[in-house]
Amino acid sequence: MQHPQVIDAHVTLGQEHPLALEAGELLHRMDAHGIEHAIARPMGAELVVDNRVGNDRVLQAGPRISGLVTANPWYGSRALDELKRCRQAGAVGLFLHPSRQGFMPIEPVVAPLLEFAAEADWPVMFHTGTYVHSDVLAVAEIARAYPQTQFILGCGGFADMWFEIPGAIRDVPNLWLETSHTLGDGIRCVLKTTGSKRVLFGSGEPSNRYAAAINTLENLALDDETKRAVFRDNARGLFRLA
Amino acid sequence: MRIIDFHTHLDDRWFNQPMPSETEFLETLDRFEIEAACIFTLQGFYGNCRKHNDALAARARRHPDRLIPFATVDPKLGDAAVVELERCLADPLFRGVKFHPWLQAFAPSMVQSTMIELLQCAARRHAPVIFHDGTPPYSTTFQIAAAARWVPQATVVLGHSGLSDYVVAAGQLVKDIPNLYACVCGPRAGYLPYLVQTAGIEKIVFGSDFGFTDWTILAEFLDNIRVADIDRPMMECILYNNAARLLRLGERPLPTAHLQ
Repeated sequence: MQHPQVIDAHVTLGQEHPLALEAGELLHRMDAHGIEHAIARPMGAELVVDNRVGNDRVLQAGPRISGLVTANPWYGSRALDELKRCRQAGAVGLFLHPSRQGFMPIEPVVAPLLEFAAEADWPVMFHTGTYVHSDVLAVAEIARAYPQTQFILGCGGFADMWFEIPGAIRDVPNLWLETSHTLGDGIRCVLKTTGSKRVLFGSGEPSNRYAAAINTLENLALDDETKRAVFRDNARGLFRLA
Repeated sequence: MRIIDFHTHLDDRWFNQPMPSETEFLETLDRFEIEAACIFTLQGFYGNCRKHNDALAARARRHPDRLIPFATVDPKLGDAAVVELERCLADPLFRGVKFHPWLQAFAPSMVQSTMIELLQCAARRHAPVIFHDGTPPYSTTFQIAAAARWVPQATVVLGHSGLSDYVVAAGQLVKDIPNLYACVCGPRAGYLPYLVQTAGIEKIVFGSDFGFTDWTILAEFLDNIRVADIDRPMMECILYNNAARLLRLGERPLPTAHLQ
């Protein structure tokens, strides 16, 4: 089997030194690598402070790109208002970056956003892998606290929290892996430990590149069923894509 | 294109997990057309460096044209570490030094006087010193860069170019510190143009961490270079020329004969 039509569960749009990616260039790269659809979230200042600008950027990127929107929890009620606006505009989930946005995942400040995501039935992707605030196991604790919400370990604990990923996903049933930065051996370990149902292909563009991210999975010689799940079906179901 | 892998591990096991055997290791180098690899211990980071240095040398002696051993010592042992490094580097087979402060449980500043002696020893032997970097609390990229400043005549290599969260810092530090280099074993392809432009093309070498896992990690990190927006002459510098220069292969080519 060749690649199924691929859904990319994690790209970033905007600018964050030294990276930059606009929707037009992303679509060009998607076409070059057989990507049907991408889930995009803001980066840089638009991730941390100018949330509305970043959210509009991903929400208005066209029909092949869906918005994983963000709001800095420290904005309080304004953060909730922004998420409500985004829900009306078609957002498919919430992205949070504890290190950049300045909170610990278990802090009360983020609870209203998580409650909103639960009510909206949104999956929540956390950046993981940066020590202290973006601890894989802190996200696992949050996932235990909100068992009805699906939580995605964005960037797969890259770099040096990779070793926590297989056990966390095994132990917490509403925790998912996004593969953009995870080494193939780590992805293989999750697949072996827990199966393919909670693994999402992500490219990490523009930090990573499609060709490299796809090859990482191809090198694992996955069977067709696993490929379909990881490259497409899991994301289609989780983000409720048509 | 000629390739030297500047960052690999060749050992029996990591804890209870077997690592690629010597034969598998060499077959993988062949598969990816890697001419030679700098090989480091893994279990030796947890103790008994002498034993592991000797094991690494024995492997390299069987394949001196392909395997370039880097010694490791435990700087927490003070003078004994310096003695062990002198012993290893007296053997022309050893061409470099590897530290993994995270696994070896020291911050360079905690063992500063010994680390300075070790770096001076390496500098006298023209042996590059590669450190794991990118991981707090003992191996931040800033900590390794600080150590490079202590001994300007030593060649210090960031083993992972900042890995993930320190990549931007790694580019700037390598630019600012003349004796600091970066091994692109970690940062994803999107960051390579930044590293090249900021640090300078002559200061970046390729590494894969192969041995720590199977061949897939080598494939991934080669992909990283090949899909990055850099041209072929730059790739040649990263994949071979810069490593050959740091290892002084022009003056001291790798032996072709079996040394055992």
